[in-house]
Amino acid sequence: MSARISRAALASTFARSFLIQASWNYRTMVGTGFGFAMIPGIRSLFRGREAEMEAAVGRHLEHFNAHPYLASIALGASLRLEADEAGPETVRRFKTAVRGPLGGLGDALVWATWLPVVSMAAVALYWLGVPGWLAAALFLVLYNTGHLALRLWGFRTGLEAGRKVAGRLAAAGFSAWTMRLRSWGVVVLGVLLGSLLGGGGGLGDAGALWTGLAIVGFTVGLRVGHHVWRPAAVVAVATIALLATWGMLR
Amino acid sequence: MSLLGLSALGGLLGLDGTSVGQFMVSRPLVAGTVTGWLMGEPLLGATIGAVLELYLLVSFPTGGSRFPEGATATVVAVGSAATTGGPGSLAVAVAVGLVWGHVGGFSITGLRRLNASLVPSEDDPTPSASAVAWLHVGTLALDFLRGAVVVAGGLIFGRALVGALAPIWPLDAPASMGLVLVGAAVSLGILLRDFGGFRTNRVRLVIGIALGLAGARLL
Repeated sequence: MSARISRAALASTFARSFLIQASWNYRTMVGTGFGFAMIPGIRSLFRGREAEMEAAVGRHLEHFNAHPYLASIALGASLRLEADEAGPETVRRFKTAVRGPLGGLGDALVWATWLPVVSMAAVALYWLGVPGWLAAALFLVLYNTGHLALRLWGFRTGLEAGRKVAGRLAAAGFSAWTMRLRSWGVVVLGVLLGSLLGGGGGLGDAGALWTGLAIVGFTVGLRVGHHVWRPAAVVAVATIALLATWGMLR
Repeated sequence: MSLLGLSALGGLLGLDGTSVGQFMVSRPLVAGTVTGWLMGEPLLGATIGAVLELYLLVSFPTGGSRFPEGATATVVAVGSAATTGGPGSLAVAVAVGLVWGHVGGFSITGLRRLNASLVPSEDDPTPSASAVAWLHVGTLALDFLRGAVVVAGGLIFGRALVGALAPIWPLDAPASMGLVLVGAAVSLGILLRDFGGFRTNRVRLVIGIALGLAGARLL
C-alpha cells in the first residue's frame, strides 16, 4: 500500500499534522491545514505528474473538521486511499463520513476527559506541596504521553485500514476508555477537593465562610452544569471589583 | 521581564492553543509557572496559574465555539501581579485574567474570520502546493501576532489596575485565596456532573477526598 509513499514523506505528513489547525477558519475549518499536511504524501505519490498532484492537493483543501489529534486517522486513511487510486469522489465521501465521529470521539475522550483529569492531578499535586515547576512538568509528560500515542496510533491505523478505518475505531473502544477514565477522574477530583480543603494556602486556611461558599459554588456547578460557568466567572470578577471599591472607600 | 518579552512569550504560548501541536504548554498551570519563573516570582506564577487552571477546567476548544484563551490570560495575570505584590495582587490579577481570557477568545474568533477570507474558496483556481504552504505559515504568523498584541494590551490594562487596586485591597491573603477558590469550585462541580454526577460516583469521590486530606496532612 504505502510502499509508493516514501518513509520521509510519511514522516513529513505526520509532522505537519501538528500544524493542521494553523489556518482554522469558519469556511473550510481545518480544510486548508488538512491539504497542507497531505502535500508531502501527495508529492511522493504523484511524482512527475504535476497536474494530478495539483488536483489532489486541491481536493484536500475542501471543508473538513475533526479533533486535531484524531485528524491523523483521516490523514493516514486519505493517503492510503490516494495510494490505492480510490478516485476523488470516494476520497471526498470518506472524509465527509469520518469528520463527525472523529470530532465527537476526540472531544469526549481528550478535551472533556483526558485533559481535565491530568490537569486536576497536576493542580492537586501543587496544592499538596509539590513545586509548581514539577507539577507543570509532570502534567506535560503525562498528558503528552497519551496525546502522542493517540496521534501515532491514529496515523498508523489510518494508513493500514484506509476506508475500513471505522471498524478499527469501533474496535478501539473509545467510549469505554472515556467512561473508564471518567471513573478514575472522579477519584482525582476528590483528591483535588481534599487538597484544596486540607492543603496549605487553600480553603482550609481561608476559614469556614469561604469553605462554605465554595461548597455552595460546587453544588451549584453540580446541579446546573455548564450554563453556570460564565455567570460564575462574572460573579467572581464582580465580587473582586466590589471589594476593591470598598477598599477604596474605606 | 519587559512588556515586549512578555508579549512574545504570550504569542508563543498562544500558538499552542490552536495552531501548533496542542501540547498544552498553553494551559494556565504551565503558562503561569513559566511566566512567574521568568519574572522572578515562581510561587506567585504557579499559584495564579493553578487557580486559573481550575476555572478553565471545563472550557474546551471544541469545533467553532468561542472559548476563553488560557495562555494569554495567564501571562497577563502573572505579568500584572508580579510587579505589585501583596494579597490584593493575586485576587485582582485573577479577575484580570478571567476578563482577558474572553478578550483572547474574541481575538481568536476575529482571526478565524480573517483566515476565512485568506484561504482559497471552491471557485478559485487550485493553488499550487507551495502557495498552500506559504498561506498556512502566514496564518501561523498572524496567530503569533494576535497573541502578542492581546498580551501587550492586557499587560497595560492589568498592570494599571493591579497597581491601583492591590494596595487598597481589604482582604488578607488566606481570605483572598478563599474568594478566588469559590468561583473555581463551580468548575469542579460542573466536572463532577460531566463525569456522571454525585450519586453514581459518591464512593469514588469520598475515597478521593480522604486521600487528598491524608496527603495534605502528610506532605
